[in-house]
Amino acid sequence: MKITRKHLFWILYSCLFLSILTGFLVHSYLHPPIYFFWETLPVFSAIYGFIGCVVIILGSKALGHYWLQKKEDYYEKNEKMRGDN
Amino acid sequence: MIDWFHPGLIYLFGALLIPLFRGRLRKGCLLLLPILAFVNLLLISKGAFLSEGKTWILPFLGYDLILGRIDRLSMVFAYVFVIASFCMMLYALHVKEEGQHVAAYLYVGSTLGVVFAGDLFTLFFFWEVMAWSALFLIWYRRTKRSFAAGFRYILVHFFGGICLLGGILLHLQTTSSIAFETFSWGWGLSWSNIASYLILLAFLINAAVPPLHAWLSDAYPEATVTGAVFLTAFTTKSAIYVLIRGFPGVELLIGLGAIMAVCGVVFAVLENDIRRLLAYHIISQVGYMVSGVGMGVMGTAAGEMAINGAAAHAFCHILYKALLFMGAGAVLEVTGRSKLTELGGLYKYMPITFHLYMIGAYSISGFPLFNGFVSKTMVVQASAMWHMPVIWLMLEGASIGTFLHTGLKLPWGTWFASEKPACEAKEPPKNMLAAMGLTAFLCTLLGVYPKILYNQLPYPVHYQPYTPDHVVTMCQLLLFTFLAFWLLRRMLHGEPTITLDTDWFYRMAGKRVIWFCEKPLITFAKFTDRKIMDLVHFIIWVSRNPAVALSIKKEEAKLKVKKLVMNPEGVEKHEQVLEEKRRRYPGELPRLTLGASLILILLSFSLYLILYLLMVH
Repeated sequence: MKITRKHLFWILYSCLFLSILTGFLVHSYLHPPIYFFWETLPVFSAIYGFIGCVVIILGSKALGHYWLQKKEDYYEKNEKMRGDN
Repeated sequence: MIDWFHPGLIYLFGALLIPLFRGRLRKGCLLLLPILAFVNLLLISKGAFLSEGKTWILPFLGYDLILGRIDRLSMVFAYVFVIASFCMMLYALHVKEEGQHVAAYLYVGSTLGVVFAGDLFTLFFFWEVMAWSALFLIWYRRTKRSFAAGFRYILVHFFGGICLLGGILLHLQTTSSIAFETFSWGWGLSWSNIASYLILLAFLINAAVPPLHAWLSDAYPEATVTGAVFLTAFTTKSAIYVLIRGFPGVELLIGLGAIMAVCGVVFAVLENDIRRLLAYHIISQVGYMVSGVGMGVMGTAAGEMAINGAAAHAFCHILYKALLFMGAGAVLEVTGRSKLTELGGLYKYMPITFHLYMIGAYSISGFPLFNGFVSKTMVVQASAMWHMPVIWLMLEGASIGTFLHTGLKLPWGTWFASEKPACEAKEPPKNMLAAMGLTAFLCTLLGVYPKILYNQLPYPVHYQPYTPDHVVTMCQLLLFTFLAFWLLRRMLHGEPTITLDTDWFYRMAGKRVIWFCEKPLITFAKFTDRKIMDLVHFIIWVSRNPAVALSIKKEEAKLKVKKLVMNPEGVEKHEQVLEEKRRRYPGELPRLTLGASLILILLSFSLYLILYLLMVH
């Protein structure tokens, strides 16, 4: 059977679901050590992973577009202008 | 019987022999050197030589230079440097230019010199050789950009070297010792503190701690394909080694490391060049190690965990980062391209490279069963043991960003993204694939069987990475990162831009300095020059006939006054007389009698005497 994109998505969704489920199971039955209050939430890492990723992408892109990203010849152009003077 | 042989010398002397061989013999020699060094290390570990302590002590200017300080910390770093050098040389084996190999082995040898240095003079010597030899790995690319980046690289390292030397000399002045042990640390402006600050500054420059990090992301991506792979391992990780040695438990490093981990990730989002993106991830990953060193308070369980974590992460990082740079280098080698905007759809041509690269990507992201998982979690665990919530969140957050870029954005943009390949490509030469395969195997081996690594660490390891909660937590974190990436993947296409970094300050300042020299400074110099020449000409003119010259000057002054008070006719007449005098100047010189000449000479001597007496008193 040929693996299609649809199959891959099903695998992804299953993995996401399984990770959440095992998170609850581990939390309920194995009682891992807790160092910070947020670790009492069995799905904290899932939420942090998702929100963290979105924040990193949007935050960095905003930082880049409004400030840090310049055209590729930025330094060379400055060099040329100095040479022209 | 010989008590020890320095592994670094195998590389340093071996590098000198490389140009003598050609063809297969040279290739054999290149691979033999790391094998010899590895056997040497095994013999040290097994106790065939001295296995702990200090050896190769040479007298120098009344001090003892210690070339061989052997303990668990130096051995774990030496092992990884030697293993990595074999994989890297295998990757570079097809390179015909012998100079590149010589530079690479001088670089590896000097790093081993740093690792085994037991005193500060030896450390400084090898530190400088390390900086210089790495420079040639950049310059051998032979592009205008690589020359410029190399110059900037070496200038930053010159600065670092001078700070180190200054610090060492101050340390020597205050303690009368050149032993390389833990430095005293405290806030304040005492000489011993300043010595520590200078030495720490030098170490932090080599570790690429922000804001002193820009040399790395500026220079490494401009190096040769194979040179960049060597560069990823040695400078920054030897800096971690010296930080562990010199500044364990310095609290400042915890925050700096966490900032570093996040900073690298943020810059990587904006990057278009795949090797520069990976270079930013070196900064990010070294952040974990710097943070670990900061948490490494001696004599505490959490501190020992942090130091073990920093050393283990350095070990693993060297392997997976080399693998990632090998993958990106392979793409550059076969396509001549390294920008995401010019790549895409290469999976069709380079599937093996892609899969091997992905092992590096899983490792750096900390997927269970890969080596990043067994080392990175130690540092994160140490931050939990110290109850540092902000640091913990920053380090976990950096994990998200790492997977996002090296595991998703880069491979997506290079091997997929478009249905149609962006250019023709093929798998790289066999030796490159073999090197990637070997490194990928080592990354997986350490991930599956971490005991091999843990047994080498400086302190006994009481950490179990594969607990159900560690595995589940990491899986949740990475899987949901993937979900967010998939939803926002259109925002992550490469953009044909560069990102300003802290190198902007010295790149632009450099241009301003050159402008200042060329414009205002040269104008001022020309003005001063002209004025001095005018004065000289005047003195020559006066000395032709001082008596007449003085009278001309007197007449000129009178004329100026007359111009203000008299009518123009009188002034004109005076001007004519003056012009006539100037025309006749110097005229006939008055003849002096012998007696008058003698009096003049005596007068001038008397003047000298008066001047002399005035000066003396």
